[in-house]
Amino acid sequence: MMKVTIKLIGPLVNQLGFSEKELTVAPSATVEEIFALVKIDKARPKIVTRNGRAVGPGEKVEDGDRIVVSPIYSGG
Amino acid sequence: MYGWTGHILRINLSTKTSRVETFTEEFAHKWIGGRGFAVKILYDELKPGIDPLGPDNKFIVAVGPIAGIPAPNTGKAVVAAKSPITGGYGDGNLGTRITEHLRKCGYDALIVEGRAERPTMLYIENDKVEFLPADEVWGKGTYETNGWIYAKYGKGVGVLNIGQGGENMVRYAVVRSLEGRAGGRPGIGAVMGSKRLKAIVAKGTIPIPQADPVTMKRIGAEDLRKVQQMDKESGWSIQSTDGVLAWCNEVAALPVRNFRQTHHVDAWKVDGERLNNARIATYGCPNCTMRCGITIHDDAGRESELDYENIGLLGPNLEIFDLPQVGALNYMCDDYGIDTMSGGCVLSFYADAVDHGAISGDIKFGDAEGFKKILTAIALRQGQVGNLLAEGSLRAARAIGHGSEAYAMQVKGLEVAAYNCKFIPGMALAFGVSPIGAHHKESWVITFEIKQTSRDSYGPEKAQKVIDLQRIRGGLFEYIVSCRFPWIEVGWGLENYPKYFNAVSGLNWTLEDFWTVSDRVYAMIKLFWLREHPQTDRKLDYPPAVWFDPANSDTEGPIAGRYLEYDKYDVLLQHYYDIRGYDRRGIPTHATLARLGLAAEAKAAEKYGSLV
Repeated sequence: MMKVTIKLIGPLVNQLGFSEKELTVAPSATVEEIFALVKIDKARPKIVTRNGRAVGPGEKVEDGDRIVVSPIYSGG
Repeated sequence: MYGWTGHILRINLSTKTSRVETFTEEFAHKWIGGRGFAVKILYDELKPGIDPLGPDNKFIVAVGPIAGIPAPNTGKAVVAAKSPITGGYGDGNLGTRITEHLRKCGYDALIVEGRAERPTMLYIENDKVEFLPADEVWGKGTYETNGWIYAKYGKGVGVLNIGQGGENMVRYAVVRSLEGRAGGRPGIGAVMGSKRLKAIVAKGTIPIPQADPVTMKRIGAEDLRKVQQMDKESGWSIQSTDGVLAWCNEVAALPVRNFRQTHHVDAWKVDGERLNNARIATYGCPNCTMRCGITIHDDAGRESELDYENIGLLGPNLEIFDLPQVGALNYMCDDYGIDTMSGGCVLSFYADAVDHGAISGDIKFGDAEGFKKILTAIALRQGQVGNLLAEGSLRAARAIGHGSEAYAMQVKGLEVAAYNCKFIPGMALAFGVSPIGAHHKESWVITFEIKQTSRDSYGPEKAQKVIDLQRIRGGLFEYIVSCRFPWIEVGWGLENYPKYFNAVSGLNWTLEDFWTVSDRVYAMIKLFWLREHPQTDRKLDYPPAVWFDPANSDTEGPIAGRYLEYDKYDVLLQHYYDIRGYDRRGIPTHATLARLGLAAEAKAAEKYGSLV
């Protein structure tokens, strides 16, 4: 098992009830599987980064990763 | 003609006279309103090389065909003039009830000329124009001035006013309105101040001419409700624009310490969650469906309205991570009528120049009290430092010397908005080619760049995206004059805007028709620049030099060791020029100008500079 941190941005914090949490996941876990763990709607438009770089839902995560999920802001 | 009143009110402050002028349907269709009207009028009427702070400059207030009509977020007006900070065309938009009242007085634009002998307030009520003394509030801030006006006329009137920053001609002074916010980053408030014009008040009662007012009323009311619901469902307003601060911090795009760093461990202290927790009220402009202004108590107990840009640039950019302190700096900028973005960048420039020994001083990053004192000195032009920094970061850097231009975060003289583009080439381009200097309002491509492209690409897809967004954000929304937020943040369809336009005008335009207008307006702004700077070249469209400096690259995090590559940026810029039909200097070619219906303007421009 490995540990990853998931950080939510903007209204996702209120909708899912947390801002940031550490998860213990299987070594082969993907971004999408982490979404399922914290009940993030797969269909909702979002931008996901892993350690600051954009990733797709099928990307595998590694121990110590920081996964950030944000609405697609358009810059005020 | 429906959709426009067909009238412009021309006011001369020197002679205390006014007259009503008409414009043709052809003019209306070609330039639509707002920014389109403003750039065409200023180009046609200003003599080349005039002093932006002299009586020959003209101050424009322009609205558009759907401005002020109840529909999603239509309470905006454009203010414009030759910019005191860039020397080129300058404008900005702000929420204000003057939009609706100006149209109900029977005007689509105001042109203010000359210079008053004494501080003046203009009062416009339908066909009446009064030149009233404003000595009582000269030297007062925008909050007190606006309150003074409300006490005289009631809260329902439309108001534009300036604070001490505008009066003292701080080159990045803005125009303010308590019903909305501030507009005119390129020193449009200083132009008002140079004319001794403290405020404009308007009260109109004449119906706005519309081709199909019944349909417009119905769809406007329906759509106001729909956008409100979309905002509620998305949750966007919970953190408003400051939601993006935490994300910028995660992807290394936050301005920290005069843009030296791209993220900070304490950034969470001023993020959208903390702002929402500190919220005491929410503000929006007239006809707003998604109110973006969140107010908090600042460190003096005053109600300060914050958003991402002012938090980013007056907070992390100054290494201040305390919301009430950021709120205090923001309140001071708003009250003095100084642009919060340029204000933040000028303060960080000074701290950086002191830190590097280019100039002696005792300010340090993180010193909120020190920054407050400097801000006051700037607004009141007190002392050497106040006067120096009131000129903006580029002029100040040139006066200081010792390599301090490297610390001035600006393009064309206008300071950058709160996105650190050390390694975001497309957004760096967006700042570089913004026609008024570094403003994010024209094009914002960061999420596109990071989600849908390779971050280190300098390819034509990024140039195309910048242009696509310029056509919408800097084009459509700036000349029909409506807030872009429903489209950009909750997905309200662009197709709704031709629907409103056609209902009020009786025309049958599509979005494609608007893109031609957008390109025409951008080309016209370029001709304005060419006239003012005949030796113009592509270097005017480069972002701040420090982003190209390998020594400035991050030492850790997602973009460690990365920086903008000069040669590659130049290629990206050329992609932009090629798609736009501009020459290698960034000036529209004869063929482009002819395609945009600007053959006559091209011929006239040959007097000032050669065209390809």
